[in-house]
Amino acid sequence: MKIEDVVCTFCGCLCDDLVVEVEGDMVVNVENGCTLANKKFMGNNRLKTPIKRDGGNWKKVGLDEAIQTAAGILLDADRPLLYGWSGTHGEAQTIGVHMAELLGAVIDNTSTVCHGPSIMAIQEVGHPGCTLGQVKNRADVIVYWGANPIEAHPRHMSRYTTYADGFFLKEAFRERKVIVVDIRKTETANIADEFIMVEPGADYALLSALRAIVRGKGDVLPRTVAGVEKEQLIRVADICMSAKFGAMFFGLGLTMSRGKYKNIRNAIELTEELNRHTKFTISPMRGHWNVYGSNEVFTWITGYPFAVDFARGIAFYNPGETTSVDILKRGECDACLVVGSDPGAHFPGDCCRHLADIPTIQIDPHVNATTHLSRLQIPVAVTGIDAEGTAYRMDGVPIRTRKVIDTTYPSDSEVLDKIYQIIRKET
Amino acid sequence: MRVTLETKPRKKPNIPIEAESIIPHNFLRGTDLSVYEGNKQRSLDEIFFITVEGPAVSPDQVEVILKGDTGRIKRVGEYMNAGKIVVEGDIGMHCGNFMSAGQITVRGNADAWLGREMRGGEIVCHGNAGHYCGAGYRGEKRGMRGGRLEVLGNAGDFLAEYLCGGEVIIHGDTGDLPGVEMRGGKLVIEGSCTRPCGNMSGGTCLVFGQVHDLLPTFEKRERTQVDFRGMNVTMDTYHGDVANRGKGSLLVRSGDHA
Ligand code: SF4
Repeated sequence: MKIEDVVCTFCGCLCDDLVVEVEGDMVVNVENGCTLANKKFMGNNRLKTPIKRDGGNWKKVGLDEAIQTAAGILLDADRPLLYGWSGTHGEAQTIGVHMAELLGAVIDNTSTVCHGPSIMAIQEVGHPGCTLGQVKNRADVIVYWGANPIEAHPRHMSRYTTYADGFFLKEAFRERKVIVVDIRKTETANIADEFIMVEPGADYALLSALRAIVRGKGDVLPRTVAGVEKEQLIRVADICMSAKFGAMFFGLGLTMSRGKYKNIRNAIELTEELNRHTKFTISPMRGHWNVYGSNEVFTWITGYPFAVDFARGIAFYNPGETTSVDILKRGECDACLVVGSDPGAHFPGDCCRHLADIPTIQIDPHVNATTHLSRLQIPVAVTGIDAEGTAYRMDGVPIRTRKVIDTTYPSDSEVLDKIYQIIRKET
Repeated sequence: MRVTLETKPRKKPNIPIEAESIIPHNFLRGTDLSVYEGNKQRSLDEIFFITVEGPAVSPDQVEVILKGDTGRIKRVGEYMNAGKIVVEGDIGMHCGNFMSAGQITVRGNADAWLGREMRGGEIVCHGNAGHYCGAGYRGEKRGMRGGRLEVLGNAGDFLAEYLCGGEVIIHGDTGDLPGVEMRGGKLVIEGSCTRPCGNMSGGTCLVFGQVHDLLPTFEKRERTQVDFRGMNVTMDTYHGDVANRGKGSLLVRSGDHA
């Protein structure tokens, strides 16, 4: 059976035009998806039953026992950490936040290692953003800064920018100019009209220089800035100022390099400066599928988008203090629940060591690096494949994902709700 | 009155303690105070051996001494308005948050956000200070507004972010972007630093060591002479941050920046 208009569950583009072919409880073919989508829909490294560590070995346990064990570990902790959330749906994230409040836990999502700095900058100076639909239909200048969509968001360019014809751009490939800023010549840089190769860690200086040029203060600048000739910067500033509609997209090359949120703030302030001349917008290239949704859900309920500490019963937020990497690095938390993420693969070594030292519980469909650090893993359905739920696209548009196959796995929401009910009784 | 708080051994010593109740003023009413250890509320005597010597009728007569394993104790001296706090060792984050008067001495190192949004009084840290020393809270447009904050060692990144008033003096080196978004006040860095005063709009920053990666958006002006420990030192003067229509002054010892 072929199912149309299926939403991809891998990256922040949330492409909603996949055609998925299913046979029984297996996906056998995916059309329209990129390689990442195909792997996600047809991958089969699924854990069959909950597993619990028993000395040096794993032992299979029933779902009820796994849920009881998970609730017990979290209830016993003085500083539990609930981390992940970007690989699951909004309904499960909501339960997670309520659970954190009852437990006096810290709840954090994967923004902590990706676009957290973008949010911090937005909190300082606002966000002149727009939807991807507007970019597709209007933008004649596209800037990718510290982002390599050809490899990380493979259909971004074909659905929304370079190769996507829009209402006001009938021949997008010819009519749109693409500027790429990166520290190396990436695949995306190869198709750029203008490629700026910036010295590693010098994006802040480059953004400040562009702001000065746009403000008519270019005479203050030296001959080269961050390894880039001033002439090129003036040319790029001219392209941006003469755009009818410009759209800047930035990735982890900007959020996670030296200066972090100050880089993003500078990029936002450059965008604001450009808006004195034309229409310009800026948007983060959100990576891990529903990470934007986790920011939305956390914010509705707590007022803060990530790194929310409920230790005192009220929400407190302070990246650097209440962020997972910092908490783990300092060895603060005494239990951890990981949902829909793989910190074992992404976090620094010290943090992984601490995860292995404390009782770590993982709720995830797959065996991954975090499995090896955990004491208990509960396999669940994959949202968008064998469970439905709501997720947010990188531009903040909520999309309902569908269930394309039936399996016996419980969804994240079902497992979390069972744990939550036990915690509610005990607190 | 002298109140000595010496830490008791803890089962989980890495769990942070939030102790905004530790300010001189509160001890006028005794030591029946509470702190938080992770998500558990504890009485002060569960965490510390407490000794009280001598009387006091006003908070400026109270001196609080913290001893032992104090590096994980946060928010000591928050909203302090008189008296003295002496920390014999290291102190955790947010020491002296919003303090308006009095004195805090830290003999060891201070963790991040030392003197956050401080309004008055004096903090002296004999060791190193972490990131965001003398800075503001997230999204806050005004950091330290008054008082004096002196660090005899080094300071971390984002030192004096959003500085609006008062004086911050660092004897050693600092990390990246000291004085970023600075709007007023005075920042003195005796050692070296990287990318000072990004996006500054006001205030004065003096750097007597080396400046690495001076931002390109600072406009060079005339040289000037300043007094540094009794010596007459020639400083290059910059105006900026031009990217931000800024009117701040950055003075860097001549010949010491790349
Ligand atoms: S670009 Fe992203 S959302 Fe679209 S199909 Fe590829 S992985 Fe899925």
